[in-house]
Amino acid sequence: MIEVKEIKTPRRIPFFGMVMGMVTVFKHAFQKPVTVQYPEKKDDQGDRFRYRIYLSTDDCVGCTLCEQVCPNLSITMMTHDKDNPRNKRKIYPSVNFGTCTVCRNCEEICPTDAIYLKDVFETSRTRNSFFYNPVELEKDEGDVIK
Amino acid sequence: MENGLEKKYIELNMGPQHPSTHGVLRLKLLLDGETVKHVEPVIGYLHRNAEKICELDYYCDSLIYFDRMDYVAAMNMEIGYLEAAEKLLAIEPTERVKWIRVVMAELGRIASHLVWAGAFGLDLGMLTPFFYFFEEREKILNIFTEVSGSRQETNYMSIGGVYQDFNDKIIYKIREFLKQFPKKLEEAYSLFVKNDIFISRTKGIGILEPEVALSYGVTGPMLRASGVPYDVRKDAPYLVYDKLNFDIPISKGKDVLSRFIVRFEEMRQSVKIVQQALDKIPDGPYFNPKAKKSLMIRLRGEGDVYARTESPKGEFGVHLIGDGTVKPYRVHVRSPSFKNLSILPYLSRDVLIADMVAISGSIDLVFGEVDR
Amino acid sequence: MNLLTRIADIFGFLGHFPAYAIAYIVETLIVIIFGTVAVAGMVYLFRKYMARVQIRIGPNRVGKFGLLQVMADGLKLFQKESIMPSGRDDLAYKVAPVMVFIGLMMGFVFIPYGPLAWFGSLTVTHSDVSLVILFALIAIMPIGEILSGIASNNKYAMLGALRGVAKDISFEVPMMLSILSVVVMASANVTNPLDLNGIIQAQSIPFIILEPLGFIIFFISMIARASQSPFDMGESDSELVTGNTTEYSGLRFGMFYLGLFGTIFLGSMIVSIMYLGGYNGPEVGYLGFVWLLIKTMILVVITLTVWLSMPRVRIDKFVNFGWKILLPLSFIQLIAAGFLTLGGIA
Repeated sequence: MIEVKEIKTPRRIPFFGMVMGMVTVFKHAFQKPVTVQYPEKKDDQGDRFRYRIYLSTDDCVGCTLCEQVCPNLSITMMTHDKDNPRNKRKIYPSVNFGTCTVCRNCEEICPTDAIYLKDVFETSRTRNSFFYNPVELEKDEGDVIK
Repeated sequence: MENGLEKKYIELNMGPQHPSTHGVLRLKLLLDGETVKHVEPVIGYLHRNAEKICELDYYCDSLIYFDRMDYVAAMNMEIGYLEAAEKLLAIEPTERVKWIRVVMAELGRIASHLVWAGAFGLDLGMLTPFFYFFEEREKILNIFTEVSGSRQETNYMSIGGVYQDFNDKIIYKIREFLKQFPKKLEEAYSLFVKNDIFISRTKGIGILEPEVALSYGVTGPMLRASGVPYDVRKDAPYLVYDKLNFDIPISKGKDVLSRFIVRFEEMRQSVKIVQQALDKIPDGPYFNPKAKKSLMIRLRGEGDVYARTESPKGEFGVHLIGDGTVKPYRVHVRSPSFKNLSILPYLSRDVLIADMVAISGSIDLVFGEVDR
Repeated sequence: MNLLTRIADIFGFLGHFPAYAIAYIVETLIVIIFGTVAVAGMVYLFRKYMARVQIRIGPNRVGKFGLLQVMADGLKLFQKESIMPSGRDDLAYKVAPVMVFIGLMMGFVFIPYGPLAWFGSLTVTHSDVSLVILFALIAIMPIGEILSGIASNNKYAMLGALRGVAKDISFEVPMMLSILSVVVMASANVTNPLDLNGIIQAQSIPFIILEPLGFIIFFISMIARASQSPFDMGESDSELVTGNTTEYSGLRFGMFYLGLFGTIFLGSMIVSIMYLGGYNGPEVGYLGFVWLLIKTMILVVITLTVWLSMPRVRIDKFVNFGWKILLPLSFIQLIAAGFLTLGGIA
């Protein structure tokens, strides 16, 4: 059974509606602006907002699952000399934030929760320095010097 | 010509960088003075090869490319893909997931129609209502952020489930939004339909007869504004739409104005659906254990499926062929914007340029979806 | 004692005639500076008002509350390279923006500003036909717009110019007829009804009460003259990019831009003179100019609200509207004004 509702054009009085529209528009001038002045004031992002990928090299076992699941090859594995008994091959993910779409597949698939995302989003860089190696992925955003 | 003079038309290129073309549509116009004699849409400026890339990725990864097809209603695109993928991989989403998806889809539909209405106002020269619509849309996007962590390209759904469960805060936020939304919607609605200039710009413009619309494959609000009550949510219910009580808005006007009022009525119906669905969400797991996150890249599918859903633009169909490996063999998308765009040359014969802009605005084009 | 004589007194040592000549030049300069500042203020007001209506913040970075934003934009336009299209009609292309700007600025000279405090009357010139001169001057501006459209060698610009012509001829006749009815009304009370001062003096009752129809026609015409929404078919941004100014950049574009906002201000001023009694109000001798400004600003805000809340009219609908509705209405208004005058009501 299909419920169908036919919509008719609402009735209007000539020119009166235009004047009422102008009044409506004018009234909004006294409303508080909804935009915020960005660097001074930051909007609440919500609990689940994530952007920056972090890596805990102590936990990473070098399973390359994150590399496989990454939809657009933003993650590549990279040799990094660190004494980690669980990571015999000494390979760790490195991330190109220039192409990362923040799909969070890497975070979800990681068996040891070594790779995780945080709500840091102010990561503007010059054009060729979006590539983060494992050491930089471990640091906070402020400590990464490019 | 009778007087021996050859009639010459002006050739005008509208786009791909033109203020009125949504995205990167290029229109080649033949003009006789102000009258449009012929329109030839040229597409492909946003072609990103999404279908082919999907074939090179795992089933779970293709979602982000579907997010970017209709980027103003990413949730609906995800549902469209998952309807096909879950059928192919034989993973049924749990009951709770189905209800959550309905809530998200309808919020996405409202968000998409709000963008359309604002952009349509801009096409006709109304500068201000655009911002009122975007204020409301921003509230929906805040809900999306709360739910999924991203504003627009949400990547919220996953095969057999969703990214994270609903909680009380989210439901409270959605209810708060629904409480104030209808009033704002009616206010903005009256800004348009009570305005004589707006009526004179839209009424009787771009008349699309239902037979023509059906023969061109037009779907969605475009078709319903021509008086054909076709809606996949009712005709072939997916998710839990058969358990919900809502109407299909149609209009007998067949013109640009009726497309406008039909879309507004759809938003009102969507509010109704979300309210019902929020009351009925059952408890349960938020993903199917067969598709748990660590198994994401090992899902194998074999077969040939086609699934259709009702996206804000129209019927969104996804055709998947699996050959038993972890990656699909073929992904094809029937995108509603592309099919609806094909009607533009027919509708804009012998109309003025201003009407042509109004007609192309009323189609609701999103170029991520047309070009894919 | 008005501003002119005060300036002439300063140059009094040169003798009577040279002193007045210099005084006229100085006062014209003052008025042109006033016009430019008013236009800049209009741009700021528009941007801020548009932002507030659209629940945004608006310019607030350059200077306190973004007050210097207009100046920064002007400087930016000034130092920008002026890119010219190939195949243009060179002279016409270059003359067009100057024409628009000069037409606007000369319009400001003939406005009766009324007295202000110590300065006395700020009015520059006194002519018995200043009304006719004023409308002759602001009729220069559309010529510039049409020239720019034809000279740019661009299809959008040409279509915009053609639309501009169609628009101009369809509202100018009703506008002139509604002015005529004002003159008819004014001639009952004063001896110089073609002088803007005379029209103001005749308005012991503002003409908006006596002829509301004429006010509406004239106000619509003034909005159309400023070619802003809903009558911006000539430069409709969603159809013809920006119409006749498509190919202009740098300072030449800036002149068109100032022309648009200046016409809104000038038009509002003319409407307030013709129908709202200009500088009439309590304490005329002291605050006349302030009353004129207040009336103008109210009209400006109404104009901007119209701009921001209306969709664009289609060009053929507007031509129909002009010839089939405005013209008969203005004839009715003219006849009504005649009866009012003969009946001795005015």
